[in-house]
Amino acid sequence: MAAVGRLNGGAVSGPESGPGSGPGSGPDGQGNGPVSGRGSRPRWRTGLLLALPAIVIFALLFVAPLFTLVANSFRTQTGAFTFGNYVRFLGDPFYRDVLWNTLRVAALTTVGCLVIGYPFALYMRGRSPRVRNWLALLLLSPLLISMVIRAYGWLVVLGPNGPVAAVLTWFGIAPPQLLYNDTAVLIGMVHVMLAYMVLPLMGSLDRIDPTLVPAAKGLGAPGWTCFWRITLPLSAPGMLAGAMIVFSLTASSFVTPAILGGPKVKLMPYFVYTQATTTLDWPYAAAIGFVLVVVTTGLLLGYSRLLRRGHGEAVFG
Amino acid sequence: MRTRTTRQEAERSVSTSTTETPADPAARRGRLRLDGVRKVLGGKEVVSAVDLETEPGEFLTLLGPSGCGKTTTLNMVAGHLGADGGLIEVDGTDVTGTPPHRRSMGMVFQSYALFPHMTIADNVAFGLRMRKVPAAERRRQVEEVLAMVGLDGMAGRHPRQLSGGQQQRAALARALVIQPDLLLLDEPFSNLDAQLRVRLREEVVALQRRIGTTTILVTHDQEEALAVSDRIAVMADGVIHQLDRPREIYLRPATDFVAQFIGEVNALDGTATGGGTCEVAGARVGATAVGDPPAQGAGVRVYVRPEVVRIQADGDGLRGTVRETRFLGSRIRCVVATGAGEVTAALPFDAQVPAVGEEVTCAWRPSDASMAVQ
Repeated sequence: MAAVGRLNGGAVSGPESGPGSGPGSGPDGQGNGPVSGRGSRPRWRTGLLLALPAIVIFALLFVAPLFTLVANSFRTQTGAFTFGNYVRFLGDPFYRDVLWNTLRVAALTTVGCLVIGYPFALYMRGRSPRVRNWLALLLLSPLLISMVIRAYGWLVVLGPNGPVAAVLTWFGIAPPQLLYNDTAVLIGMVHVMLAYMVLPLMGSLDRIDPTLVPAAKGLGAPGWTCFWRITLPLSAPGMLAGAMIVFSLTASSFVTPAILGGPKVKLMPYFVYTQATTTLDWPYAAAIGFVLVVVTTGLLLGYSRLLRRGHGEAVFG
Repeated sequence: MRTRTTRQEAERSVSTSTTETPADPAARRGRLRLDGVRKVLGGKEVVSAVDLETEPGEFLTLLGPSGCGKTTTLNMVAGHLGADGGLIEVDGTDVTGTPPHRRSMGMVFQSYALFPHMTIADNVAFGLRMRKVPAAERRRQVEEVLAMVGLDGMAGRHPRQLSGGQQQRAALARALVIQPDLLLLDEPFSNLDAQLRVRLREEVVALQRRIGTTTILVTHDQEEALAVSDRIAVMADGVIHQLDRPREIYLRPATDFVAQFIGEVNALDGTATGGGTCEVAGARVGATAVGDPPAQGAGVRVYVRPEVVRIQADGDGLRGTVRETRFLGSRIRCVVATGAGEVTAALPFDAQVPAVGEEVTCAWRPSDASMAVQ
């Protein structure tokens, strides 16, 4: 069939036809029958085909389980419909505390990534492509190591016999408790999440016309004023994107907080895990998980709305 | 000698309290002087020992191909690039080491560099805000300058809602509202279509004449340079080849580069005979020496524009045979083969056109041609 199609195409169009026309009709003839079918498939269908694998994966592995999760969260252990899981969660001050602490850690991680990541992104912007590639690799390197190994590495670094404690002792400072608290979780999370903040920020900074700052300087603005009035507001989209990614990933992260936070710092994903695997109360685990999804999504939507209003459409247009 | 800070304060008070009028030319500001200014970028000397001095109120153009160092020179004047040598002076004050935000220079960039997150009014007001001009006064001045550049009613728009020409005007307004010592224009017209480019540049020249701010334009467009400038500095490879009025630059180029870069030219090799004449292919022709007159017997090159060549049946001049004539609408192009090579003449449309093969003389006024020692 393919051979016939090719022969046909060649015979009809002749040797002087464009390089694409002869061989091009071959594969098409193979699939659809008619040799002249080249280009007859609607453009939107081709586009849809490109997106199809992703759509299928999302539908099967995300949307469908999410519905199952929501459905499960309204059931008792025996399968009867109930609001009990949510009543239990929201009625228990302990769980409300856990939710609050989760959001707090996520917010602090986001702020930490922003404070450390912004200067880094600014530094990267002015470098040559070669240096930038190396810096990007450096930034992404924590993601190349298993999360568990990385977290255990931090256990060593921050531990009572680790280098941080040694340096502090050498300076005559009694090392504070660095492990199994919020600080440890924050350090570990910022380390992993930095790349998710810096990369979108870089994209935003790169889109700023490089003559804007000289223009502002020429009009009498010193360096800091240029930053506050020009660079910072124009990089808001990158900050927004980075903050959203870091916040939601941190709020739902499990391994790093579990290892570095120890028994004292308990975040939402930890309780989802214990309810599902230890207590075997799947509906309650589903309810905790869904509360986290709803609260995180709600906060992010509110946050983006707020930024949109604050900076007007100019930043996002 | 005044210190930098007192000068700043003096400037600030000038720009806030009084609306400057260029009534007395002697009191006008904006005398720029460059003395041996150099810049090395990436190990290469992109600007080598540039000297120039402007008159207050002058429109001076740095003209040259890309990479000739003209934009680098402008950026050193603005302070965006530090000079690696030499002196930059504005009205007698050394600003070589002054950071850009403490110089009083209004710059218009090729990309316009309008702040996309601010309205046109806020863009224009930016410089005034930096100078701590009170809000009411700021509004008044912004309105005034927007009207001056023909953008009244656009104050509330964002830059992306404006056409290229309007953005250009807004950038100009933003640069002018701070009443700068110097107005620096970096290829400001090159992103506009041909018609708009000509119209806008006429407007800019008219505006510049009116407000009398010393202006430095950087361009690679020789026609633009000839049309707008009081004087042109032709640059190549980091040096100024010639600095003169447009007419002199055009009719009496000093170097091969200037001659070739601006329009078409007949370059004829000959020998100086002293007294402002030289001998080309056995004929005595007149040309004006650029700089010191060449010594008798020195090898010279004579530059003659096609427009100034007259074709005569006889008389003094370069003899030759008409090789080709062509009607081009506004001009008639006539190529004559002479002993010194082909000479092209662009005759007026109503000139008497010689026949091909006719023996003729090519002549020109000595003041309309230049000669330079080779």
